[in-house]
Amino acid sequence: MQLRNIGTIFRKEVKDTIRDRRTMIFAFVMPIMAMPLLMTVIFKIQMGAVQKIEHARSDIVIQNIAELPKDLHDSLMADTSLFQVKTEADYPGKNLLDELKQKAFQLLVIVPNNFTKAIELESPTGIEVYYDRGEELSSAAYGKLDSVMTCYRDRVVESRVVKRQISKDVLRPFDIQGNNVASAQKVAGKLFGGIIPYFLILTCFLGAMSPAIDLGAGEKERGTIETLMVAPATRGEFVLGKYFVIMLTGIMAGLMSLASMTIFFRYMASDPTMKQMAEMLAIQFDMRTLFLILAVVIPVAGIFAAILLSISIFAKSAKEAQGYVGFLNFVLVLPAFAALVPGVELNYQIALIPIVNISLIIKYAIAGTIEWKYVITAFVSLFALAALALYFAKRWFEREEVLFRM
Amino acid sequence: MIEARELCKNFKDKKRGVVKAVDHVSFSCKAGEVYGLLGPNGAGKTTTLRILSTALKPTSGTAIINGTDVTVDPQKVRSQIGFLSGNTGLYGRLTAREMVTYFGNLYGMEKQAIRRRSDELFALLDMKDFADSRNEKLSTGMKQKVSIVRSVLHDPPVMVFDEPTNGLDVMSSRTIVDFIKHCRDSGKCVIFSTHIMSEAMRLCDRVAIIHNGRIYREGTVNDLLQATGQNNLEDAFIKIVGE
Ligand SMILES: Nc1ncnc2c1ncn2[C@@H]1O[C@H](COP(=O)(O)OP(=O)(O)O)[C@@H](O)[C@H]1O
Ligand SMILES: [Mg+2]
Repeated sequence: MQLRNIGTIFRKEVKDTIRDRRTMIFAFVMPIMAMPLLMTVIFKIQMGAVQKIEHARSDIVIQNIAELPKDLHDSLMADTSLFQVKTEADYPGKNLLDELKQKAFQLLVIVPNNFTKAIELESPTGIEVYYDRGEELSSAAYGKLDSVMTCYRDRVVESRVVKRQISKDVLRPFDIQGNNVASAQKVAGKLFGGIIPYFLILTCFLGAMSPAIDLGAGEKERGTIETLMVAPATRGEFVLGKYFVIMLTGIMAGLMSLASMTIFFRYMASDPTMKQMAEMLAIQFDMRTLFLILAVVIPVAGIFAAILLSISIFAKSAKEAQGYVGFLNFVLVLPAFAALVPGVELNYQIALIPIVNISLIIKYAIAGTIEWKYVITAFVSLFALAALALYFAKRWFEREEVLFRM
Repeated sequence: MIEARELCKNFKDKKRGVVKAVDHVSFSCKAGEVYGLLGPNGAGKTTTLRILSTALKPTSGTAIINGTDVTVDPQKVRSQIGFLSGNTGLYGRLTAREMVTYFGNLYGMEKQAIRRRSDELFALLDMKDFADSRNEKLSTGMKQKVSIVRSVLHDPPVMVFDEPTNGLDVMSSRTIVDFIKHCRDSGKCVIFSTHIMSEAMRLCDRVAIIHNGRIYREGTVNDLLQATGQNNLEDAFIKIVGE
């Protein structure tokens, strides 16, 4: 094994790969664009939906509105942007429950006869509200109505207590004050800690995929494999030269994606319209976290590169390779979802499972709660697998049946 | 310079079982000589040449190339050989010069030597105009010239051509034929395979008729014609194989 030959092969493949537009899209453009695009779309949809529900005016029909106490009536009418109040007179001859189901309006309130009187006399009474739990707008309207009603009831209770010359403090013996001790980083880590490693691992795979197909199956497709096999460099030198280029592209793609995410979160957190999400966005990629993420991306790319190169050199054409890689993408990147599954915690066993360990380590690192003993365990497992995969790729490259498969 | 001794190569094929692609093939070829393997598709020509150029290992038997046994030191054999086949491809995104330089480096040549030798060959083959444009933009004939330069850059004593004119137009075929003659005249040992009788007649000092992995008969074109009593190689071939 000569370093000079590996260098020659490496340099040639780098040059060839840089000029490959497809690879450059997968390794640079996509990782930079993917996360911000996806997140923006998700945010926009979510914020839009929340706004639509919270700010939509709800149509409510109050049957027997004349029996509503004046105080409550006024509160319902007070904010016309909150409720548009109608009565049964607006739906003559119609079954109001059916109309509600048909979404003609969002709430149906049925006031019993003598409701005002019952409240004045302090005798038990009730009010019926119908809503459609399957409709977000209807549920939201119910929530709004419920809070208006509850406020009114509290006022009634207060007035009754005061009438009996009892202090209203009796109604509220103590306050509960909830205080969140989690740092913003931890909260954000829990929220995004799962999706970030998934993106990193996916972009790393996609970055390595394109050059792997080109450097392996591509040699067969172009008809250059034979010239390589009769050139005086050894098969091992070819494997290593190619391997490092593929790995480097994978790392590059991961880096691009990481850089893009860092900038994206900084930018979003500083966007005033994102104020209500500020805490969620408090992802701080401090130097230590960044360094750790970088360090794990290297063995991941190493594993992907070796497996992809083996598969690719086995395939007879780029198309065949693409088929295998599609399946591989599923198998290799799926475990990255581990960090998205609630309740999956790092321990020694899980730290040994490749990809799963990475996604959890990144998640914990972002949340700032990483434990080094697991990081070391994971690294041992990852490097062992990368070495094994590389050894396998080399053996594979030495087999005639693989190189000249019919 | 080339000496094949009882070469055998078996492939395991899913449908056909064990295929004897090369079956006890022996021949030799001297410096300054063009030796032809003439046979139809599937005769075993490519497999034989791949064994000679160390891309494949023989199942049994061996070959000595310029004094080195292919089964003992394939690495050394590789540096003694220039290899060119009809379906040899190029790296489309590299220029001719970059591609040739890559192989020069793989063959262990020094930087200046690569530069000097490629300039020389680009001039000889009239390639100056496209030596620095990307291979993907070249015509088939131009591409074949790039392959030629790649195969002889390291000035090997032995040249192996596997159906080098396959799929080429008349002009490009002529370039190849001239190049093979040039190799012979400069004292290289040339082995070359084809299924085209006329090409064999035109180029080869000696021809082996190969079919089903076996060499049926060997000799100069005239020997073969005389022995079979035919006046063209095609009829001679049918006669020999039909026997
Ligand atoms: N890698 C391989 N695997 C299985 N069979 C092969 C392989 N390479 C060649 N063969 C078979 O060996 C025989 C000789 O093939 P080949 O040497 O390519 O012939 P030629 O070059 O004369 O057309 C054919 O029957 C072919 O199908
Ligand atoms: Mg052939």
